[in-house]
Order: sequence, then structure tokens, then C-alpha cells
Amino acid sequence: MVDATPVALELSGIVKEFGAVRALDGVSLSLAAGEIHALCGENGAGKSTLAAIAARKLGATAGNVEGQGEIGLVHQHFELVDRLRVWENVLLGREPRRGLRIDAAAAREHVRDLARRYGLDVDPDAVIENLPVGIAQRVEILRELAREPKVLILDEPTAVLASTEIDALFATLRTLAKRGIAIMVITHKLREVIGNADRVTVLREGRVVLSEPTAATSLAAIAYAMVGGKVPAIATRNATRLQPAFDVRNLCSGTGAHALYDATFEVRGGEIVGIAGVEGNGQSALTDAIAGIAPYAGTMTLRERPFVGSPAARIAAGARIIPQDRQREALVLEWSIAENAALGDHTAPELRRGWNIDRAARDRRARRIVERFDVRAASIDASTASLSGGNQQKVVVGRALAGEPIFVVAYQPTRGIDVGAAALVQSRLVESRNEGTAVLLISFELDELFAVADRILVMFRGRIAGEFAREAFDRSRIGALMSGAA
Amino acid sequence: MRLRNGILFAATIAALAAAAMAIAGANPLAGFAALARGALGGERQLSETLVQTTALLFPALAVAFAFRAGLFNIGAEGQLIVGGLFAGLVGASLLAPGWIAIPIVLGAGALGGGLWGGIAGLLRARFGGSEVIATLMLNVVASLLANYLIVGPLRAPGVEGAETAPLPLSSWLPPLLPNTRLTIALVLALALAALLRYVFARTVFGFELRAAGEAPRAAARAGINLTRTALVAMTISGAIAGFGGATLVAGVFHRFNVELSPGYGFIAIAVALVGRLDPLAIVFAAFAFGILQSGSLTMQALAHVPKDVVAIVEGLTILGLSARQLARREPAAV
Repeated sequence: MVDATPVALELSGIVKEFGAVRALDGVSLSLAAGEIHALCGENGAGKSTLAAIAARKLGATAGNVEGQGEIGLVHQHFELVDRLRVWENVLLGREPRRGLRIDAAAAREHVRDLARRYGLDVDPDAVIENLPVGIAQRVEILRELAREPKVLILDEPTAVLASTEIDALFATLRTLAKRGIAIMVITHKLREVIGNADRVTVLREGRVVLSEPTAATSLAAIAYAMVGGKVPAIATRNATRLQPAFDVRNLCSGTGAHALYDATFEVRGGEIVGIAGVEGNGQSALTDAIAGIAPYAGTMTLRERPFVGSPAARIAAGARIIPQDRQREALVLEWSIAENAALGDHTAPELRRGWNIDRAARDRRARRIVERFDVRAASIDASTASLSGGNQQKVVVGRALAGEPIFVVAYQPTRGIDVGAAALVQSRLVESRNEGTAVLLISFELDELFAVADRILVMFRGRIAGEFAREAFDRSRIGALMSGAA
Repeated sequence: MRLRNGILFAATIAALAAAAMAIAGANPLAGFAALARGALGGERQLSETLVQTTALLFPALAVAFAFRAGLFNIGAEGQLIVGGLFAGLVGASLLAPGWIAIPIVLGAGALGGGLWGGIAGLLRARFGGSEVIATLMLNVVASLLANYLIVGPLRAPGVEGAETAPLPLSSWLPPLLPNTRLTIALVLALALAALLRYVFARTVFGFELRAAGEAPRAAARAGINLTRTALVAMTISGAIAGFGGATLVAGVFHRFNVELSPGYGFIAIAVALVGRLDPLAIVFAAFAFGILQSGSLTMQALAHVPKDVVAIVEGLTILGLSARQLARREPAAV
């Protein structure tokens, strides 16, 4: 079939090696003007590397990139100057001048005109740090559009957005596509692909394993291609007898945009309570207050005893926190799996012998974690820095559950890890719940919460905006609360 | 790989040292030969090298102890001086049998150094002040304060110059070899190195210090009190350096003198880094630097190489090691 639309970008036989690692292994892909092309794949499949090569920010080891005109790249983590205004960001480095000065009036007009032309509604004079993420992302897109690109690549653009904002983003992208821009969206959220993209390409281990018009494929087929097999099942949630465990009243912590206000809820033994919300709506303040890392007001109890004091006291009381950033907040990367297995529990009687760490007990614990969580490592003496993200996370979650805690807080426990590792982590949390542990699961992925949570609390701007029992889970209502629309 | 890099590094330093000698107008080969002769050429030379090794080993272990806990203690010099001052003042006024007096004198040194290190630790723990600035500045305070005290309010009757009265013979450290300055301080230093190695490898305390040093955020979440760790680590680090100062007073000079240390506390930073903060490796590094220290005068006398070349070599070593640290921090590809 001869395609009538011109090709805007043609990648052929792209190979990229980082040292001995082959990140891309002969990837060919073409983007037609006016189409929205979804690029899917698990973490480490090579998506971002391919995007960087397509945008000519990174050279390929072999292969060709052909395309005319500018290529815009919108990063997952915005590259905006928070303290500057919208127009200053959009035209940064290319400001219209009058003599030695910036011609602010002309610049403002230029940005306003650009926004109008592409239907991206923003106030040119707004300061970035005051904007909600969805709007900040528009600024990021606008900045790329200012260079009149033929191709626009967006790297995980929906990761920080609530569902209503996601809809708005894709409406915007469709408008741009109609104006002849070729659009590539990198995502691992398959639901978005089906509804919004014209074509989908799946990468696995640096190779293209599927490339089809969206209409000709299915969610299951894309998922199968991404994982390279069946998506592993999550452990079954058994009926449990609920027991009082963690109770928090009127908890306030932090200041400013990411603070937590007046949170009151409980997590009982034998249930998983999910916190739904877009990143930056008070989840970190909540986690840090529970961990005893950040100061707070309000009261917390664990099994009807005051839950107070230092992080060490809270660990001793039977609480375990799985922090968001496994590499900085959970692991000492240079250390072995064995040493990391003891971190946090190193003062517990079962892991110490007098003044010393009981190395035999520590190693036994490490081996148990490695076995139960299928950690792929040469031995328990391997440094955790040498493990993949998924295996690092298995060590972190395994350690948290090893001490048979009363209460576990899991903050984004499957972020950035492959589907297999994620299913395993989720399964172990569910099993822990089945055995009577109280689990608070904070996740930015609704799918994850729908899969394992017994109840969902929605957080928006630091407050709990709604609560849903499992029977009443409702994607659109929860999505609306997450974006403050309800 | 590691070994090859180490040899390469040593060769580079040696080449630069040779260049420095040549620039100074001397024959590098003659310079190295004189250096070796001065440091290792006989029992007297070797014992003096071991005296220098000991003097470097204590502050180097002190520096390593703090570094392992993530604290950049560059104030070992000041802590050594205050420790020496305490030991000198206590020792000069204490008349007791050696088995009582020596522990007290050395303990006084550890106390003084510990206090001095503890000040920086407290500033860091309490107010989040940089221990780098604090320890650096406290070096200056230490030497000026010591000078003021012993020529001023605490001047000993009949003593000329900036020093305390001599220690009674009973407080002198027993020599290891007759008619040399080499004392049991060397044995104590080696024992301390072994002890520190054990503390880091085996104990809960060492585990917490290493966690705080290598991943403070993870350590805090694992229930490790970073504030307490900073205070304790700086105090102990200071105490080790102060103990070292006391061994110089009780073992080498038999009195406190403001010129007790030709910068042992600073050279110790290079020693600790060359030893990769591992107490056992630091022993060997201290010996290598001890050779430089004790051989330099002979080198000057015989080969007419200014002894400042040794200071240049030490400086280059620190520079090279810091460059390696920087290079390591560079993010890897991907």
C-alpha cells in the first residue's frame, strides 16, 4: 500500500551501544506527518534512547536518521525555569531583542500568537512555579512548537497527569497532528494507546516486536508483546479478618504546594488501602510524617498504642516504609545484598549479637529474601548497585516484609520496574495483607490500585478528597477527584 | 585493574617528583637514593621512619574514621595539637608510676582532641554547619590558642620558648628499641588500626557509621540518627588524633611544644586517601609517607634536593587522589 502522507521521520537500522550493553539493536521506524504514533515498551526496552537519537540529541552507533526540519522533544521531567514566566521560558535563548534589551512586548505577543495558533491556552505572564503540572507541560510543548518542528516527540508525557488532563493533552496532540506535525508519544500506559494513537510500535530489549495500526491490534496483544509472554498474574486476595492497626487523625505536615492537610483515616490489618493521586499532591509529606522523618501535627496510633518518636522507634514498633526512591532512600548502593538486608533491622535482637551484627542471621535473611523474591544476583555478596532496578526493588520490598511488620507503607513500589518484577512485588504485598498486615499503598498508577487495593483514598492538593470501597471503584469518578474536577 | 591503577598512580607521582628534583637542579636518581638511604639505610634510620609512620598513622586513622562516616574532617592537625597540649599540661604536673601516669597522659590527649573534634561535630549536628569549614578554622584556633596558653597564662616557671615543662621520666612511653625514639606508640597505633577495622566490619556501631557516610538519606530512613552519628564520629575522630598528639608528647618530645607537628594532620589526609580509608591499607600508606618524611633531610644533605620536594610530592598525591574522586562522581553512560 502506498501511503499518501509524507514521511516526516525515518529511522532505519538504529543500533546504540553503551559500553558492552546494546540498548538498541537494529530499530527501524517511520513517522508519517499528521499521525500520532505510540512507542511502548517496558523500562529498559530502549524507548528514551530511541527518542533521544530521533531528536538528534544522541548519536547512534549505527543506522540512519532521516527527516526534514526541526524535531521537538518534550521530556518527562520538565526542563523549565521555575522562577521565570511562561514567555521567558518559551523563548529562552531566542528572545527578540531591541538593542541590548529583550523586547518583552514582542516576545509576549509572539507567545500569545503561538498559543492561539495551536490552541494551547496559557497566560504568557504566568510564572511557571505557580502553574499546575498540566499547564506547565503545555508550556514545555509550546517551547518546542516555537521552533516550528515537523516532528514532536513526548517522553512519558502522561506520567504526571490526572486522567482529565491526559484527555486534554491528547486533544491538543490531535490538533497538532491535524496541522501536519508527526507526533510520537512514549508511554507504558496501554489504555492511552488504544484510545488515542493511530499506530503503535512496541520495543522489547532494543528491538521492534510489534508495529501495527492501533485499530488492528488490542490491549492484550500490545501487553503480550511488551512483556514477551503472558502478563504474570497477581496473587489472589483472600478474605481476611480485619483488625485495628494503623490509625491517623488530623495529620498535617509540610508547607507549600506539596503539604499534607488534615488527613484522617485508618489502615486495618488484613487490608490494602490505596492512596490515589497525581504526584506532588501530598503523598511525600504523608510518607515522611509516618516514617518520622518530617515534623507533623496530628496523632497516629499503631495497634492502639501511640505511634510516635524517631524513625528507629517506629521501625521497632512494627512499621516499615518502602520509600519512593529506592536508590537514595532505601539502599546503600555500594553495599552487598546481605548488608542491605540488615539495614533498618540492624538493631533488632534477631540480627545482632552483643555489639556486633550477627552475620549468619543477616545472611540467612538475605538468602530468604533472594529466594522468596526471585532476586537475580550472582550471590548475596553482590553489590546492590550491580542489580537492575527491578531486582533492587525486590530487595527493598523483601527487606520490609522480612521482619513480619504490622504495618507497611509502600510508596510507588513498582515505579520504573518491569512487569514481571512489578507483579511479584504486588503479589508479595497481597500475600502479606492476606496474613494480616496492614498495607498502605501509595501509587500514581490507578491500574495498580484497582488490581490490589481494598479501599482507595484519593488525594488532591494535600487533602483526602474521597474514599471508595472496592465494590465502588469508579475510574472516572476517581480520576475526576484526582484532578480536582469534582 | 586496581593494582595496575595504583602502580600507574605511584609511577606518575614518582615521575613528577623526579621532575621537581630536576627543576630544583638536582639529580633525581641521586635524590631517590639519598631518600631511601635516609629512611631505610640502617637501624637508626629505620626506627626514625617508624616514628614518622606512627606520627602519621594516628591522624590518618582519625581522618579515615570521620570520612567513613561521611564527615570531611580536615582538622586532625588541630585536634592533634589540642590533644598534645592536654597531654603536655597534665603530664608535666603529674608525678605517678608509669602504669598510672601513661594512661592518664594519653587519655588527656584523647580528651582534648575529642573535645576539639566534638566542637565541629556539634556545630554540624546542631546547626548543620559544614564540618569542613569548622575543622579547617579550628586548626588555626588550636595552634594559636596553644601558643597563647603556654607562653601566657599557663607558662611553666623556668621554661623558655613556647613549650610546657618536661614530663617526668615515669610518664615517658617505654621505647621499643633502646636509644631510639621508637616507642610502644607504634604498637598502640597498629592495635588501633586493627580495632577500627573490626569496628567497621563487624559492629552495629560501625554499620551505622558506614551507612550514614555512604547513603545518609537511606540511613535516616533506616532509623539511624544522623545528628548523633555526626557528633559521635567527629568526637571519636578528634580523640584518635588527640591520642596521637599525646604519643608525640609522651614518646618523642617529652613535653608539649607548639611545633610538635610539621603538619602531620594534613599529610594524614593524603595517607588516609591513599589507604582508601581502610585501616589496614592506611598502615602501609603511613609507612610510605613515613619514608618521605624521615628521608627528606638526608636527601637535602646528600643530594642537595630541597626537602620541600617531599611537600610537593604530598601535595601532588592529594591533588591526584581528589581528581580520582571527582572522576568517579561523573555519571556513567545510559
